[in-house]
Amino acid sequence: MRWAPVLFVAPLAVVMALGFVVPSVQSVLNSFHPNTPSGIDGAIWTLENYGKLVDSFYVGILGRTLRVSLTISAITAVLAYPVAIYIAGLSGRAQALFLLVYMTPWLVNAVVKAFGWALLLASNGIINRWLRAAEVIDVPLRLMFNETGIMIGLVHGHFVFVLLPLWAALSGLDSNLRWAAANLGARPWSIFWRITLPLTLPALLAGVIINFTLNMAAFATPALLGGARAPVVSYLAYETVLVDLNWPLGAAMAMVLLAITLALVLLSQWVAARGKRRVMFEGTR
Amino acid sequence: MILRVFNWLMIVFMLAPLALIVWMSFTPTAMFRLPVDNFSLRWYREAFNYPGFLNSFLLSARLALISGLLSSALAFFAAYGLVRYRIPGRAAREGLFMAPLLIPAVVFGVAMLQFVNGIGLYNSFWALVIAHTTIVTPYTIRTIHAQLRAVPEELELAAMNLGASHAATLWRITLPLCRRGVLAGFLLSFIISFAEVTVTIFMTGPAYQTLPIRIYNYLTDQVDPTVVAISAMLIGLSLALIVLLDRAGGLKTLRRK
Repeated sequence: MRWAPVLFVAPLAVVMALGFVVPSVQSVLNSFHPNTPSGIDGAIWTLENYGKLVDSFYVGILGRTLRVSLTISAITAVLAYPVAIYIAGLSGRAQALFLLVYMTPWLVNAVVKAFGWALLLASNGIINRWLRAAEVIDVPLRLMFNETGIMIGLVHGHFVFVLLPLWAALSGLDSNLRWAAANLGARPWSIFWRITLPLTLPALLAGVIINFTLNMAAFATPALLGGARAPVVSYLAYETVLVDLNWPLGAAMAMVLLAITLALVLLSQWVAARGKRRVMFEGTR
Repeated sequence: MILRVFNWLMIVFMLAPLALIVWMSFTPTAMFRLPVDNFSLRWYREAFNYPGFLNSFLLSARLALISGLLSSALAFFAAYGLVRYRIPGRAAREGLFMAPLLIPAVVFGVAMLQFVNGIGLYNSFWALVIAHTTIVTPYTIRTIHAQLRAVPEELELAAMNLGASHAATLWRITLPLCRRGVLAGFLLSFIISFAEVTVTIFMTGPAYQTLPIRIYNYLTDQVDPTVVAISAMLIGLSLALIVLLDRAGGLKTLRRK
C-alpha cells in the first residue's frame, strides 16, 4: 500500500522520461559534438557548432524570428482585448459558442490553415484579384513569402491563447469595481485604463507569453507563408537537419531557440511578480 | 456596438481561410477560383484516386487512436496517484508531464530525429507513437486531473469498505465517475495528434507520412485542387471532432485553465 502512489504515477513518468527527457538531453549533448562525414563524433567535445551561429546570416534570422514573434504577440494582444471584453459581457450560451469558434483554428492542422491563407494572400490569390478587379491597385500586393504572411498566419493560428486567459480574467472581474468608478464620475476610457487593464494585466501577460513561445517554435506556418525568402529559426533548423544533414548544427540552433524562449519567459514572469508586489505595496499604503 | 462589429470582423478573420478552402473545393475547373454558379465534386473523386491520400489518412487515424488511448490510460492512473496521495517531488512530476507545452516543438523534433535514429526506429510507426504520446500528455493529464478532483473520495472508501478490492473500485467506481474527463482527454489528444506537424515532419521517413505531412509535401511540390478537396475533408473532420469534444465537456476544462 505504501508503494501504491508510486505505482500509479510511475508508468507515465517512465514514458515521459524515456520519450521526452532522454531525447532532449541527448540533443543538448549532440550540439557539443562535431559533425563529420561519417556521422557525429561523440568522442570530441567542442563549441564549434555554437561558434558557427555567431555569424551575420544566422544572427539576422534569429533577429527576424524574435521581431516577428514579438510583433505577432503585440498585435494579438491589441486584437484580443476588445473581443474578450465583448464576449465576457454576453450570456453563458453565447460565450461558449463564440469561444468554440475562436478555438477552431487552433485545432485544425497548421498546414491546412496556411494553405487557406495562401489561397487568399498569393499574388494571384483572392485578395489581389478582388482588389485589381475593383481597380484599387495595379500591381499585386506582396502579402506572402515575407514577414507579413508569417504574421497574418500566426496572429490567426495563436489568437486563442491570448483570448482565453483574458476572457477568464475579465469574466471573473468584480463588476462592482467598474460601477463604483463610474458612479464616482470616471469616464469609460479612464475606467478601462485605471481599473480593468491593471486588474487583467497578469492574465494578458500569461497569454502573451504562451503566444510568444508558440510563435518562436512554429514551423509549418512560417515555412509555407514565409518560406525561403523570409526564413525563421525553425525553418533554418529543418533545412540544416534534413537537407544538409548536419544534426549537431541543427541541435545547436534548437538550443539557442530554447534558451532565448526560456530566458524571455522567466524574465517576464519576474517582471510580473515585481509588478504585483508593487501594486500590493502601494495598495496597503 | 463597436465591440460587437469588431467581434464579428474577428470571427470572419478566424473562419475565412477555412471557409474559402471548403468553398473552393467544389470548383469544376483546375484553377484556384471560387466557383459561383457551377459546383462539382470532381476534386473529391481525384482525392480518393490519389494513392497516398488514403494511406496517410489511415496512418494518421491509427497513430492518433493508439497514442491517444495510451496517453489517456497512463494519464488516468497518474492523475489518480496525484489526486489521492501525497507524493514526494509532486511539482517535479507535474512539471515532467507538462514539459512538452513549454519546450518549443522544433527543439523536440530535432531531438526526436536523433533519438529514433539512435535506437534504430527511424521511419517506423512506433517512433511516431512514442513522440505523439508525449506530445498529447499535457492535454490528457490536465483534462483527466480536473475531472478526477471532482470525484468524492468517500465513494471509493465506501466501495472498499463493502469489500471491493482497490482494482475493482478503480474500475467500477472511479473510472465511470470520471469517464467524461477521460473521454474528453482522449478526444482532445486525438485532435492534437491528428493535426501535429512540427515534430512529425522531422521524424517521418518516406514510408510513414501522416496526412498533414503528405499535404505539406504536396504543397511544396505541385498544387492542384485535389489538395483543396483533401483539406476541406480534414476541416470537416476537425469540426466534427471539436463539436464532439465540446459535447463531452472537454473544452470547458481548457477554458477554465
